[in-house]
Amino acid sequence: MSFGAMAAWQAFLLMAVAVAAAVYLFRLRVRPPKIAVPSLLLWRKVLDQKRDLSWWERVRRAVSLVATALVALALALAVTRPGPRVTAASRGRLLIVLDSSWSMRAKTTGSETRWRRAVAEAKALAQSAAGDEVAVATTADGLVEGPTSDTALIETALDRLRPAGGEGTAWPRVGNADQVHFFTDGAIARPNEPGVVVHSVYEPVPNVGITAFGVRPPTSATDKAHVYLEVVNYASEAQDVRVSLTRGQASLLDQTIKVGAGETIRQSAPIEPQAGGGALRAKVSARGNALDVDDESVAWMASAEPLNVTVVSDQPGAVALLLQRDPGVKMTMVAPSAYRPGNERVVVFDRWVPAEPPATPALVIAPPASSWIGRPGDEERTPRWSERGDHPVLAGVDPLTLDIKRARGYADGGLLTIAASEKGTPVVAVHDSPTRRSVVLTFAVADSNFAFAPAFPVLIGNAVEWLARPALAESRRPGPMSLPLSTTKVIAPDGDEVPLIRTEDRAVARLDTPGLYHVQAAGSDAVVPVNVGGPELSNLTRTTLSDALAKAGGGERAAGRPWWMYGIFVAFVLAAAEWWTWQRRITV
Amino acid sequence: MALRFEDDFLKKLEYLHVISRRAFAGQNRADRLARKRGRGLEFADHRQYAPGDDFRQIDWKAYKRLGRLLLRLFDEEQDLPIYLFIDASRSMALPEKFDQARRVAAALCYIGLAHLDRVTILPFADELGDEKVPGRGKGRIFRVFEMLEALEPGGPTSLRGTFTEFGSRGRQQGLAVVISDFLDPEGFERGLKLLASMGHDIFVCHIASKMDRHPGALGDVRFVDSETGELRDVDVTPALANAYTRAWEEHAEELQAFCGRFNLGFVRADAEAPFEDIILKTFRKGRFLA
Repeated sequence: MSFGAMAAWQAFLLMAVAVAAAVYLFRLRVRPPKIAVPSLLLWRKVLDQKRDLSWWERVRRAVSLVATALVALALALAVTRPGPRVTAASRGRLLIVLDSSWSMRAKTTGSETRWRRAVAEAKALAQSAAGDEVAVATTADGLVEGPTSDTALIETALDRLRPAGGEGTAWPRVGNADQVHFFTDGAIARPNEPGVVVHSVYEPVPNVGITAFGVRPPTSATDKAHVYLEVVNYASEAQDVRVSLTRGQASLLDQTIKVGAGETIRQSAPIEPQAGGGALRAKVSARGNALDVDDESVAWMASAEPLNVTVVSDQPGAVALLLQRDPGVKMTMVAPSAYRPGNERVVVFDRWVPAEPPATPALVIAPPASSWIGRPGDEERTPRWSERGDHPVLAGVDPLTLDIKRARGYADGGLLTIAASEKGTPVVAVHDSPTRRSVVLTFAVADSNFAFAPAFPVLIGNAVEWLARPALAESRRPGPMSLPLSTTKVIAPDGDEVPLIRTEDRAVARLDTPGLYHVQAAGSDAVVPVNVGGPELSNLTRTTLSDALAKAGGGERAAGRPWWMYGIFVAFVLAAAEWWTWQRRITV
Repeated sequence: MALRFEDDFLKKLEYLHVISRRAFAGQNRADRLARKRGRGLEFADHRQYAPGDDFRQIDWKAYKRLGRLLLRLFDEEQDLPIYLFIDASRSMALPEKFDQARRVAAALCYIGLAHLDRVTILPFADELGDEKVPGRGKGRIFRVFEMLEALEPGGPTSLRGTFTEFGSRGRQQGLAVVISDFLDPEGFERGLKLLASMGHDIFVCHIASKMDRHPGALGDVRFVDSETGELRDVDVTPALANAYTRAWEEHAEELQAFCGRFNLGFVRADAEAPFEDIILKTFRKGRFLA
């Protein structure tokens, strides 16, 4: 037997103290109630008579004492939350791995969660391996504690852990582990690791969750955006599901829908692209709903806030025309002489650049020599764009239709070439640092057929989007997110700043909890919605574990309730029997 | 408690007589046959005239026939001294017991007063209290009520002390009615024997209540003796409760057997029983009233 609420020695101490207190209180003589009688004459006569006590009368008090102690013991045992003992098969270094997928937050019938049950069993396992080295890892965080023989450290680490996704992470490992025990509900399929002992905490429970939620931006100026919501009832019976959808503070939908067992409801509704904020939030609630993290989902409609783009050029051409027609862009034309940095989110410099680099992200087209762009290199005539990198600015760009007359590279400007000619002359370069973001086209639109090529709107659109929004506003799962190197800050939904890990060419942030994250990078910002819900997570009636394992996990609960409930029941029965037979003096 | 009887009940009481198994000398003329010859209405006997006898009692017809002076003797009809002992100890303090005792005493008083008997009310506990003599005639019943209503139970029970004090006051022999629960720590035997030795005709009325017969509680209790204040912690089990009930029954049977052995009248009056039934049925059945 193991104890879920405390360490074994604490549980035994609690039980001993409870029994001792019960025995003490039993032996404590309380002042009996006073009853006035006409005379004690007859009572004296009765009590002075030597009466032979029956065997039962002689032992009845002892039986009562034992019953009292058992009541205290049963209650104390219930407090310790006992459960079946999980023991390590043999001694040696032990690695305990907890499946930290979101489905582990599902409530079970015993009013606990799969996670709490896994932690309790892991603690019991760690205690059973007392003296040996134990390490704790989760599928999301990898190794979090150990290897250590300090059981208290392991228990503290286990108490500290919370489910945090980690579906796609690598299997945690520790050197020279003799045994690996994996506590999981099997909601997420994982490759079978050899030698891993799997402990199931799976128990089928009904759930209602949002399995898809997103917003599609308008495709034209006259088009409307569309929001899409998918809710599934993973229960064995139909239930009323309340669905609400809000945009900012405004309610778009609030209704209760009868959803059949296993039924999916799909709602798609047009919304005004620029009326209201960009934040959309969907919520569901139902009676049979074991998991909370899939009850709410968020989406961000970037087009709700048109981009202010300033085009600085003496001769506005195709670029200005293109941006003017973009429904997601609010363009302003400015002559170079009149240019002053404003509240634009992206500035386009066409064949001109200011002396100082702008604070806002900039798309620079065929710039003249400047200190911040760099020293112009040799001009290449009719360069052929041959290398196409995987930078987001180049996504979907077809270079084969381009016919460029001349282009030149720039040196010492800190530019990173993302597309170059066969001879190595940069065609498209970017500058991505925490202080500045820019995209540089090394050729003028007029010096090419660019304005007529299919790549034109794609490349310009990509550049503006990349410059204005360092991250895509597409819904994503919790976990690490790769961000541009220029990222300066990531704000979590609760307002806290998310730590950034910087590598040579990118920054990585862990977006662990669902919600809207704000990403800021060198004068640009973006909102990233993070959602948990999905069919594989919300369906708590299925598991990838084998039938035997699934039944073993749910069997204890199917056979009855958690053990502490039996403790309460035994205590109640004993107390009732004791009160009825002893206090009412029925058995003596 | 206000002692009042309905008129119908009083009428019924008037038809009843207190039966004394012996004739006692009274002090006043009444309607009860006395032991001595006197000036009654019923002829009893003749006796030889002696100097000093009342000439008016000479039977001249007998003198003419027999030539001797004979005196006509008549049965004397006198009152009966009735001593009503009411236990006013703390053990009688239960309202139902003491009220029943007072009602019984009031009813017996009324019967005695209606027949011009001399009734004396004697409350007692460990000693004799202030005796109360209401007078003669049934009109005095209201005074009796007032006297009885004024009684308050208090003190321990001592029958021996009570009757010793009673005997020391030099009483005329008569009918002594003892109304008590007889829960005397010294025992009831010596007290009743003492009273019987004074030549009184004794009638015992045992007042018993449910509280006397049953312990009234189960479990750990602290009994308080209402007379002495003594405390006793008792774990009352059903077996012990049965033993107590048996002990009470033995006590009641001993009292009844004692009365039979010493030729004392005995009636048990349950405190919870209807009062009129006790007077009109139980007392008549016990041959105390006729």
